[in-house]
Amino acid sequence: MSVAWIGSQPVSLMDAIRNAAKLLASSRCPVFTLDTDVHGTRSAIALAERLRGAYDHRMGEVLAREIALYSNSGGMFTTPGEARRRSGLIVLVGEIPAAHHDLLQAWAASQPDLGDRGKRTWFHIHGEAGVTKLARQLKAVALGAEDLSLSGALAVLRAELQGRQAGVSLANTAQLRKALARSRFPVFVFSGDSGDAPSLAMLQGLVADLNKTGRASSVFLPADDDAWGAALTSLWMTGFPPRTGFSNSLPSYDPVRWDVQRMIRDKEADLHVWVSARGCETPPKGGKVTVICLSCTEAPAAGAAVTIAVGKAGVDHDGVAYSSRVGTFHAIAATAPSLLPSVCSIVQQLAGALPGRKALPC
Amino acid sequence: MKALTFSLLAEPEERLDLSGLAPASLAGLTALQIARLRVGTGRDPVLAGDVFKITGKDADSVIIEGSSSRLDRVGSGLGGGSIRVTGNVGHQAGRSMSGGSLHIEGNAGDHAGSGMIGGRIEIRGNAADNAGAPLAGEIIGMQGGILIIRGKAGNYAGDRLRRGTIAILKGCGDYAGYRMIAGTIVVTGGVGAMPGYLMKRGSLLFDRHPEHLVPTFMPCGQPDIAFSGLFDRFLIDENIMTRPLLGQRPGRYGGDNAVSGKGEVLFRRGR
Repeated sequence: MSVAWIGSQPVSLMDAIRNAAKLLASSRCPVFTLDTDVHGTRSAIALAERLRGAYDHRMGEVLAREIALYSNSGGMFTTPGEARRRSGLIVLVGEIPAAHHDLLQAWAASQPDLGDRGKRTWFHIHGEAGVTKLARQLKAVALGAEDLSLSGALAVLRAELQGRQAGVSLANTAQLRKALARSRFPVFVFSGDSGDAPSLAMLQGLVADLNKTGRASSVFLPADDDAWGAALTSLWMTGFPPRTGFSNSLPSYDPVRWDVQRMIRDKEADLHVWVSARGCETPPKGGKVTVICLSCTEAPAAGAAVTIAVGKAGVDHDGVAYSSRVGTFHAIAATAPSLLPSVCSIVQQLAGALPGRKALPC
Repeated sequence: MKALTFSLLAEPEERLDLSGLAPASLAGLTALQIARLRVGTGRDPVLAGDVFKITGKDADSVIIEGSSSRLDRVGSGLGGGSIRVTGNVGHQAGRSMSGGSLHIEGNAGDHAGSGMIGGRIEIRGNAADNAGAPLAGEIIGMQGGILIIRGKAGNYAGDRLRRGTIAILKGCGDYAGYRMIAGTIVVTGGVGAMPGYLMKRGSLLFDRHPEHLVPTFMPCGQPDIAFSGLFDRFLIDENIMTRPLLGQRPGRYGGDNAVSGKGEVLFRRGR
């Protein structure tokens, strides 16, 4: 089975590496789209830095919204473990990604053993989309109003909890107020998919208000765990999350300027390194830039100048990934070890084939 | 003396950082030194002389002839003198400007007037998102000066505005005046959803009743206040508008009650 292609022609891995390195060395503005494990992300960022390129995550849009909450507003956050053990009042905010439903259902099946006691009470703040399936399953009390967006509902709730007037009123606010008075540690659960950046900022303001008279916090469940892991890895390496560029050799974060999809659309980038070792996706069609594709694929990616098949962390080789359930990184063992190379090893070979032949620091 | 003129030779391949082409930075430089200023932001950054034909000598009055959305940070840090651009510009035009004037005859990209503390920016076309707003991680937006957008503005215009005036004359997107701390935003034309969301203080002045107001703004009647007449006169004196915006006894909403609720939306009644 071939693991490397130049265009649609199968070639040896070394030929593909040499060809890709030539493209990287001659590129005016290389950009990277990442979707891989921690080691792959680290090596790709190190390569982007060496090439004075820019990098983004495949889920850059939603990730930028999640990051904006931290960089532009801040907030009060707790871990899922603390919430499970201490909180008898959970308020779901908007839509929670399906990947986290098991976690929340496990909370529903348990009772807090520190702080609050007894059965957990659930509420759900919703926008125009209405009550979600998860909220119905958890028998959450709905907080919302007809034709009111989530950002509007959060604003009204925050005003009402402070005893201020609002133009509309939400259903069941009095019930929430009683529950808040009873609970020693109410927790609001949200995701980057829950609402837009202002909604999330309003939510954090609401939590801050509650902390003036008692304790409250929030649990942030990322829209995508691996994307959040890539953001933390990027912060660790450069001080900035994805959508960072190295145009003057120092990292600079700009969610507009270094939006890789925009850079490709506006023809600012001339080389796109597409790394998809998780979803095994191929680069989006239609771009006119040269593409180097590192993906867990069995066939050359359509339109890519070079395609190299890589293994999946946790399947073909061991890896490290972020888990929102534990709130940190964890090791993942290979379930079906194979000889497919990891993203990290391919990127290191690419760096070694560049002029100067300097190895990457990671 | 003829204004120092930078004529764009062709659409640049990379984004250019033109913050160095401000009067204070150019004063005293020879033509050769100016041509050697680095403006490119790519791996092999281009110099001013590579992308512009440079003529004229008066560095206090700079003209950029040409149009490209890749001309970033035009007038960034401008403290005095004037810059005129004959076409479109990219991101962060007039960023952190403290004085002087920046006149853009085309459209501007994101973050026009971001962090501005003084001076005057006039954009004859449209401005993209975040006009006058802070960059990622900053906590204060525009702190002074006048930003005039004669076309449309995108979303988040005046985010975290602390002082100064933003005038948008052909409508704006969602969340105008988002997290406003003080200052004034004038909008004529349609206003998107949720103007004044998380607004603490300051004034949003509209030429019509806003359609999609935040539900935590409450009507306060039609106060007979001197402010509307004074501000109308200011807008006409500054050549921002040709006729009064609010008129006598404008309608008023107070909010955002989700926060301190000390901001206001004033609008011309009857429209």
